[in-house]
Amino acid sequence: MRTRIVLAAAFLAIAAALVLAARPHELTAAERVDRITAELRCPVCQGLSVKDSPSETARQMRDLVAARVREGRSDAEIEAEFRAAYGDWVLLSPPIASWSGLVWLAPLAAIAAGVILASARVRGVMPVSIAEPSAAQLAALRERVAREEAAEG
Amino acid sequence: MILSRILRIAIVVAMLGLVVTLALAFRRDPHDIRTGTIGKPAPAFTADRLEGGGALSLSEYAGKVVVVNFFASWCLPCTQENPALVRVYERYRGSDVVMLGVVYQESRENALAYVKRMGISWPALADDDGRVALSYGVFGPPETFFIGPDGVIAGRHIGPIDEPTLIAGIEALRREATR
Repeated sequence: MRTRIVLAAAFLAIAAALVLAARPHELTAAERVDRITAELRCPVCQGLSVKDSPSETARQMRDLVAARVREGRSDAEIEAEFRAAYGDWVLLSPPIASWSGLVWLAPLAAIAAGVILASARVRGVMPVSIAEPSAAQLAALRERVAREEAAEG
Repeated sequence: MILSRILRIAIVVAMLGLVVTLALAFRRDPHDIRTGTIGKPAPAFTADRLEGGGALSLSEYAGKVVVVNFFASWCLPCTQENPALVRVYERYRGSDVVMLGVVYQESRENALAYVKRMGISWPALADDDGRVALSYGVFGPPETFFIGPDGVIAGRHIGPIDEPTLIAGIEALRREATR
């Protein structure tokens, strides 16, 4: 009985924690700056976000994002400002609705092609072609079997 | 059998696509990276003149060909390209061509000393918070932008620029303006 109460209490505590964690909350200005700069590529770094880069350019970009957040601009507007200057390249995750969105589609297309190919083979629509052995190949094979049987005694 | 044929065709098409993409990418001049600013109106800016005399706005030069050069004294290629900029500035001095320098990530004092040392007599502008450079999508100095009389960025050169490239960029815009 006691174990059940402890288990129920633990379950309730976890459920409450999950609900609290999932509860939508208003982001602070600093959280918004972090979120936006984490999605922006630092132009003078190798694969670093503006949030993580220690470079002067990234610092200036963070300051600009913070200023735009203070001005009341939306995330999309701020992103659009950087895209206008640096192109889609400045986004660490390429937008799906553009040519760079093909980056997302290529692996999916490859997986789909693989699945189609594999299922076709499994169903026998596209049987693996096995060439009939020639008479000489058959004779050589029989000879080898006979030799191995003789060797085994 | 049909699937196998389709697969082979798909592979060939994919390979051809890759070859065409690579061919197009390698043909492109690495000094002319097509970012969002090309073909768009030049971002407006107002910035302080390094040598004093107040601020200067890009809008003052509407209807003229404007060459905007981002530079810094710590940037070796900037010092290499400077003689070409000086010659081209002298060539077009007093014409419908305007040259502006924008300091990139450097203190005003250092930049001013560089401007005097290198004989830069066109307006050099401070960009303390980097807003001008960020609005033009600058990766690092030197970078040169060609803005047409219509206020649209017609070209961009990344890295040190030479005299023929400068003149060609300017003349192309002047020709377009007289059409």
